[in-house]
Amino acid sequence: MKSSFRLRYELIALLMCLLLFSGCVGARMGVSWPAIGLIDLNGEQHLTLAYNNDVVILSPSNGAPARLINPVNGQVFRDSENNPRTWILRGSENGGGQFYAYPLRLDDETVLLASNDKRLLEVDSVLLDVKRTIPLDDNVVANLLEADGILYLPFQNGGLSAISMDGLRELWRFPTEAGIWAQPLLVDDLLIFSSIDHFLYAVDSQSGQLQWTVDLGGSVASTPLFANGRLYVGSFNKSFFEISLDGGILSEYKTQNWVWGTPAIDEYGIIYLADLSGFVHALDSENGLLELWSKEIAERGIRAGPIVYGDRVIVASRDGKVYWLDRRDGELINAREIDERPELLGDMMLIEPSEALNIDEPLLLVTSVHDARLLIAFAVDGRQVWVYPR
Amino acid sequence: MWDLILNPFVTILAWLYAVLNQDIVLAIVVLTVIIRVLTFPLFAKQQESSRKMQQIQPQLKKLQEKYKGDKEKLSQAQMKLYKENRVNPVGGCFPMLIQFPILIGLYQAIFFALAATPFQLVDLSERLLIPGLDSLIPLQRFWTPIPQFLPALDLTMPPPGLTPTDNHPYALILPVLVLITTWAQQKMTMATTGQGAAKKDDDEDDGGSSGGGQAQMMKSMTTIMPIMFGFFSLSFSTGLSIYFVTSNVIGMLQYSPQGKRLMERVFRRKKTDEAPVEIVFDDEDEAPTRKRRKSRKKKPRRK
Repeated sequence: MKSSFRLRYELIALLMCLLLFSGCVGARMGVSWPAIGLIDLNGEQHLTLAYNNDVVILSPSNGAPARLINPVNGQVFRDSENNPRTWILRGSENGGGQFYAYPLRLDDETVLLASNDKRLLEVDSVLLDVKRTIPLDDNVVANLLEADGILYLPFQNGGLSAISMDGLRELWRFPTEAGIWAQPLLVDDLLIFSSIDHFLYAVDSQSGQLQWTVDLGGSVASTPLFANGRLYVGSFNKSFFEISLDGGILSEYKTQNWVWGTPAIDEYGIIYLADLSGFVHALDSENGLLELWSKEIAERGIRAGPIVYGDRVIVASRDGKVYWLDRRDGELINAREIDERPELLGDMMLIEPSEALNIDEPLLLVTSVHDARLLIAFAVDGRQVWVYPR
Repeated sequence: MWDLILNPFVTILAWLYAVLNQDIVLAIVVLTVIIRVLTFPLFAKQQESSRKMQQIQPQLKKLQEKYKGDKEKLSQAQMKLYKENRVNPVGGCFPMLIQFPILIGLYQAIFFALAATPFQLVDLSERLLIPGLDSLIPLQRFWTPIPQFLPALDLTMPPPGLTPTDNHPYALILPVLVLITTWAQQKMTMATTGQGAAKKDDDEDDGGSSGGGQAQMMKSMTTIMPIMFGFFSLSFSTGLSIYFVTSNVIGMLQYSPQGKRLMERVFRRKKTDEAPVEIVFDDEDEAPTRKRRKSRKKKPRRK
């Protein structure tokens, strides 16, 4: 009897080991990081956050989910238990959608939402109902771009689709060898987008005709910065490029690791970029990307692009910290550690005080992949203002 | 700490991918073969330990019968038996403990190298140790099977069944292959260590240390392991199934007599098929004496 009991324990232990082994692999790790944007709701500007199962619209003043308001009588909609209804769309209640791109407004009562299960959702923003589902050929992990009545949809496994906002018909499609993981950029009639197939593409925004393409030697997963009539973008080939609007490489700067985030530029033409070794670099865009300073700031990589505000450069790292640097020399001025140090991977956003936003001081918005601290709002001096937990 | 094992594997896999004409399946197969060959001495040690334990089982049983009521004496006699036969009762565990992280590291390396999502790819940026490999990213994750009319297989996605996937139903052949090869490897392991021949658990109160207990354990493993790995293959990416199948096939080759001989020659291991030392108990109070059993080794036939 003793032996069979022991045998059973041994088998259970083996099963536990194997389950642990499978769990360690991280096969269930997330697809991407949160996306933040701005959206109009009830006549005011709000923040919107999309991550995994949820899309939420938040008040910029306190980070609370916006309430659903009846436009006819101005009253808050209430649920069956008389609680006010808030603007949180759950993918689990809508066919198992996963969201890594923030919603865009289609009209006063409708928002469009790309789900990572090959669907485009048309959502009634007043009642929070999915009105229509449009099947897509692929998943979406990057933010969509809407311009001149056309919606540009970048696909996770390759290709970009242009859809008419009027009727949601596909106008044209451009194929790429691998995925497009960054929001496209529109410069006049030129739609510019990067792909992890190593190329930067420029196509005609109306017809989808290829204008030029440039091989950057490694995957490109960020939206280029357009400044001074030139494009600035980094690649996984540990390089940062200055590219002319006709697709020629003007200058190249070697970084310590992959560059994933979109760089920032100040009023003097100084470009700030960060890489996945935790380095921040300042380059002179008027002198062929001449290095002004380059400093190792963070213990781990910096995925998102920096933010420039006043005389500060702000970066957020995978080490769970936000760093404020002196933009003249890269000296560290302040660092804030997020509780439990979750990875800070999503793009940051800086919002200025305005009546439409209903805030009286500038806010730096940082996203994390920790459910209890999905979105953190800091004052520009590093003081934490509010936190949005899932 | 774990990265010390994982990062070299990811780097070697990416390097093999570059060397082998950017064929990720070939890179997985070659890396699995290299790791299995390099860890052969550990496998061999584990097998040898199991075989020796199997050989002294009858004597252990005798001791248990003899010192039924005296645990202290039983333990002393068992220790003596182990010592005389140069058997470490937990000797089989140590090589397995070393192999385990290596195999998990290899398994995880495939998962990380085949990064298909932003989250996985950002992780890869910290894992490539050789400069220049960055330009290979993303590794080609679509594999076209030999009958070219079949659609390409996405190695980062599981076969259809348990989770949503774009892979064609023919990908289900991989979990089946994993199941069959895991079962076959388990069977060969049992045959090689002699546990397959061990009689069933006929004495249940022996503390589970008898050959019968082990045989039952091995029998359960032969059933559970293939099902479990088959299930893993249904839920995880097909790239991992290729690793499982390759690993199992290499394991089978290593356990085959020809494979064993070849490996022993490569690693210059001495073959130890000495007969176990038998402890003879003349009298209860007398100290046990030793004598070597006649070797069962057959004399080589003359031509």
